[in-house]
Amino acid sequence: MKNELNHKLIQIKNLKKYYPVTAGLFSRHIGDIKAVDGVTFDISEREIIGLVGESGCGKSTLGKTIPRLEEPTSGEILYRGTDITKLDKKGLRELRGEIQIIFQDPDASLDPRMTVGDSICEPLVIHNIDNEKKRMDRVAELMEQVGLEARQADLYPHEFSGGQKQRIGIARALALNPKLIIADEPVSALDVSIQAQILNLMMDIQEKFGLAYLLIAHDLSVIRHMAHRVAIMYLGKIVELANKQELFENPLHPYTEALLSAVPSFKSKGKGRILLRGDVPSPLNPPSGCHFHPRCHRVLHICSKEEPLLTEMAQDHFVACHLYR
Amino acid sequence: MIKRLQDIIKKISQHLRLNTRLINYYWQRTRRNKLAVAGLAFIIFLVALGIIGPLFTLDPTEVNFEERDMPPVYLPSEQFTYDIQTGQYTTKEIRGTWKHALGTDSKGRDMLAMLVSGARISLLVGLIATGIAIILGTIIGVLSAYLGGWADNALMRFTDVMMTFPFFLLLVLIVFIFGRSLAIIVLAIGLTGWTGAARLLRSESLSLRTREFIVATKALGASDNRVIFRHLIPNVISLIIVIATLSIPSVILAEAALSFIGLGDTTKTSWGIILESGQNTLETSPWVAVEPGIMIFLTVLAFNFLGDGLRDAFDPKSNI
Repeated sequence: MKNELNHKLIQIKNLKKYYPVTAGLFSRHIGDIKAVDGVTFDISEREIIGLVGESGCGKSTLGKTIPRLEEPTSGEILYRGTDITKLDKKGLRELRGEIQIIFQDPDASLDPRMTVGDSICEPLVIHNIDNEKKRMDRVAELMEQVGLEARQADLYPHEFSGGQKQRIGIARALALNPKLIIADEPVSALDVSIQAQILNLMMDIQEKFGLAYLLIAHDLSVIRHMAHRVAIMYLGKIVELANKQELFENPLHPYTEALLSAVPSFKSKGKGRILLRGDVPSPLNPPSGCHFHPRCHRVLHICSKEEPLLTEMAQDHFVACHLYR
Repeated sequence: MIKRLQDIIKKISQHLRLNTRLINYYWQRTRRNKLAVAGLAFIIFLVALGIIGPLFTLDPTEVNFEERDMPPVYLPSEQFTYDIQTGQYTTKEIRGTWKHALGTDSKGRDMLAMLVSGARISLLVGLIATGIAIILGTIIGVLSAYLGGWADNALMRFTDVMMTFPFFLLLVLIVFIFGRSLAIIVLAIGLTGWTGAARLLRSESLSLRTREFIVATKALGASDNRVIFRHLIPNVISLIIVIATLSIPSVILAEAALSFIGLGDTTKTSWGIILESGQNTLETSPWVAVEPGIMIFLTVLAFNFLGDGLRDAFDPKSNI
C-alpha cells in the first residue's frame, strides 16, 4: 500500500490561473484575478486528497484546471509524467477519459432532456467504445454499481431525487474507468441524511476501482471522513498540506487552526473558538506579504512585507507561514 | 389496438429522442389555458382547411360576371347595373344565396373558395418564412453564444446592423428589386426576420453554456458538434417553439400588408391579395375586404394565444 501511494499520478507544479480584468472601451487590462496563484502538490495513485478552503479561494478553479476545462495561465500538470498543459486536441480527448469530474449540483450536472441511461452511456458513445448492445449492458452494470436499478435507465433526471441524481453523476464519471475523479463539493447540495450514503458509495468505489480522488469541500467533517491527505487553500495558494491525522491533530498554520476551531468536535488544544475577522479579501487586489495577515490572530511584523513559502516543517507536513521559520 | 398505437408512438418518439412524459407534462400545463386551447383548435381547423378544404369548394379562380358582387347568404345588397336598352342605371336588390355562402367579389369569384385557398397560401407563407427565420436565428444565436469571443462579437454586431434596417422598408425594397413572386416574398421575410430569434436564443444559450451538464459533457471529451446538437439545442427547443408560434402571425401580417399596398404576388390568392382586391369596392361590397380581414385577425389572435399559453407552460416558474 505504501509503495502504491508513492506512485505519483498527478504532479502539479507552480500552477497559475489568472482571469484578466478589463475596463473601458478598449478593454484595457487593469489587473488579474489570481484564482489559482502558484499551486504545487501531487496526487498519488489510489489517494484521496482533500482540498479545503472558504468560498472564492480558488479550489473549484483548481479542480477545473487539472482536466483543462479551464486553460491554465502557467505552470505544469503532469499526468503520469506527461504534461497535460501541452497536450493537443487529440491527446486531450484521450486524457478526458482518465480524469473525470463529479459536480456539486446534481440537478445541473445532468441534461434534463436526456434519459439518465443516455447520459451514462454518453461517455461510451463519445469515445466510441463497444457496440450498442454492449453499451446497454455496461450502463446497467454501472447503474447497479452506484445503487440504482437498471430499469430506471429510461427515466429522466427530474424523476429522481437529489441523492439519486448524484449517483447517476458518479456512474457517468465511472463509465470510462478513470484513474482520477475530481469531486467538487459532491455532497454539499444534498440532505445530511443522504450525504453519508453518497460518501460511503464514493469510498466503496474508490477501493473497488483503485481510484484517486481530489475531494474539494468546505466541510471538514467530510474531509475527515474520507481523505488521506489534506490541502488547505487560501486566496489561490496552498497554505498547509499534511496527512489527515497530522493536520487535524497538529495544525500549524493559523488559518488551519481557525478552520478547525470552527468545527465543534475538533476544538484545537482547548483554545476555544478562533474567530476570523472580516471576509476573504478580493483576489483582484490581495493583501501584501502573506495574504492571510489582515485576518490572522498570530500576525507578525514580517507578515505584511514578505510572502511566506510552502516549506516542509515535519515529515510530509508543509506549511506556508512565517511563524515556523 | 390503442395500446399498440401507443407503443408505436412511444417507439417513434424514442427514436426521435423526444421526451414523451415531458411533452405530456407540458400539454397538461398548456391545457389549463383555455385561450391557448381555443387558439390551437382554430389553428388545427385552419390547417385542415388548407389541406383538404379546396377539394370541397368551388374553383377560386373561376370568373363569372353574371354573379359578381353577391353578398353573403341571406344578406341583402343593392347592385347598380347599366341597362343597355334603356341606357339608364338601375338599382336592383339582390340577396346572397347558398351557392356562394360568403358572397362573390367584383369578378364573380366565390369568396369561400378564395378564403379557403387563401388559408393554404397564408399558412404556408407563415410557416416557411418563420421556418427560415428560426433556423437562421437558431444557428446564429447558438453559435454566437457557444463560440464567444470575436465570433460572438461579429455575429451580434451583424444582427444589430440587420435590426437597424426598418423591416418593412427592407421588405418592400427586396420585393421591388427581385420581383413580386411569392417565393421571393417568403424568402425576403425569412431572411430579414431572424434577428429577434437570434438574440433570444443567444442569451438562453449563454446561460446554458455554463451549466454543469454542458461542462460535464465537455469533460468527457465531447466534440463541439455533439455539445451543440445533443445538449444545447434540445434544451432551447421550447424557446424555439414559442418564438416560432409568436412570429407566424407577424409574417402573415407582413405578407398581407405587402399585398395590401400592391406588392403581393397577384397570381396567388393569399388573404392579403383578396383584401387588396376588396379595397376598390369597399362601399358597395364591403364583405370582399372584411372577410379576409376577419380571417387574418382570427389567425393572428389564435397563434398569439397559443404562443402565450406555450410560453407559460414551458416556464417552470409560472404557476398555471
